[in-house]
Amino acid sequence: MSLVLRVVAPIASVLGLWYLAIAFSGLPAFVIPKPERVLDVLWVDRVFIFTHLLATLQVAAVGFLWANIVGIGLAVLFDLLPFTRHMLMPAAITLRNVPYIALISVLMLAFGDSLVSKTTIVALSGFFPVLVNTMQGLRSADEVQLDRMRILNASWWQTFSQVRLPYAVPAIVAAQEITGSGAIIVAIAAEWMISSSGLGYVINHAMQNYRGDQVYAVALLATGLSFLIYSFVHWLGRRLDWRAGDPRRG
Amino acid sequence: MAAAISIRGVSRRFGDTWALQPVDLEIAAGEFIALVGPSGCGKTTLLRIVADLVAPTAGEVRIGSDSAAEARRKRLLGLVSQRPAVLPWKRAIDDVRFTQKIAGRVGFDPATVLREFGLQGHEGKRARELSGGMLQRVNIASAMAHDPSVLLMDEPFAALDEMKREEIGEWFDRELAVRPKTVLFVTHHIDEAVMLADRLLVFSPAPGRVMEVVSVPVPRPRDAAFRQDPRFVATAAHVRNLLSHQASAAA
Repeated sequence: MSLVLRVVAPIASVLGLWYLAIAFSGLPAFVIPKPERVLDVLWVDRVFIFTHLLATLQVAAVGFLWANIVGIGLAVLFDLLPFTRHMLMPAAITLRNVPYIALISVLMLAFGDSLVSKTTIVALSGFFPVLVNTMQGLRSADEVQLDRMRILNASWWQTFSQVRLPYAVPAIVAAQEITGSGAIIVAIAAEWMISSSGLGYVINHAMQNYRGDQVYAVALLATGLSFLIYSFVHWLGRRLDWRAGDPRRG
Repeated sequence: MAAAISIRGVSRRFGDTWALQPVDLEIAAGEFIALVGPSGCGKTTLLRIVADLVAPTAGEVRIGSDSAAEARRKRLLGLVSQRPAVLPWKRAIDDVRFTQKIAGRVGFDPATVLREFGLQGHEGKRARELSGGMLQRVNIASAMAHDPSVLLMDEPFAALDEMKREEIGEWFDRELAVRPKTVLFVTHHIDEAVMLADRLLVFSPAPGRVMEVVSVPVPRPRDAAFRQDPRFVATAAHVRNLLSHQASAAA
């Protein structure tokens, strides 16, 4: 029963709001098409959309991977050599705060419409949450455990791999939930601005042809994908989290 | 013969505040020393200096012929904290093995020691599945797993209720008879200190200094009947008087 409510209720409420918007907004069908029309487009244009979906997934996956390599890599470096944090963290914060539109423009000038330019944007948007969460996770290791490792004269690697990293897993997983689902959205945004492939391009193309239904179809697909990625990462995180099953946790 | 632990003029200042006034103490091998005193008197600071987890502002600690840092590097020390340092994702027996793996030294068979520690049938349980008393036993087993010559204990039984505390204290005293260690034991509990220790270092309120070293006039191990012994009562009363006199003087 609860599963039905958890699945059916959100879908029913979204559909209800959608129909209400159609009924009361007075907007034309190419601006706000009916849900059944959007599903129809998803089916009829499935080959076209699927081809571009693969391009988007490639950008999102490669960007996501780099976001993790850079984010986790920097956090580990900061733990190993604390002075590097003072050297590199300001640069990381600066990169985080540069408007993405400016970055996309520069990358477009440098690399053109290529996988490098688009994945760089996804990686840049995703690495910071991974970095900050991993740093916080590594710092969350219990002091009594760290004292135990010090008294045993454990090496940095032993302390890192056996204590700090397991303590950081929940925080790293939380970062994946943000970065993983966000990668799809950012990939589409990058494609929308500079690409001739991917779901972002499909949106651009559809807008130029007054195909609001196709835009909605892509939006629905992207939302569903992001949700799926989020759910998968969340599920995986529960299995990796050593705190799972602890009755003392709420 | 060199003392097991030699503390010479050890003091510690944090900023402008003295946490510990100079302490001098010679501890023999196998001796059990309890550090008692009010909160903030420097007991834990002294323990952490001996553990080489805090550097002294002045003075030095020798463990046998080694400095505290050398002793830590040689893995001669074991540490038992108030909050158990048992890794929550490991089973009890794996946590004991973990100490041996990191220390690169197998002091004794983990299964045997857990059985002797009254944990038979609980070896495969994780921290969350163990009671507070059991968890503290695993904690002590893990701290002793590489057979350190010195055991540093910071209020190890503080989280336990009175009955469990007495029970585990008596058990620990018997264990030390089997596996002798030189012990430095921080506690707020005067009866526990008198029950377990050979000597008590009684600290004054902050800034901490050793007011008196009190010897317990009965050899260890001691059983529960010692609590009724006039020497126990007299020693505990003396320590209590020292502390309450200092507290009223401070007020």
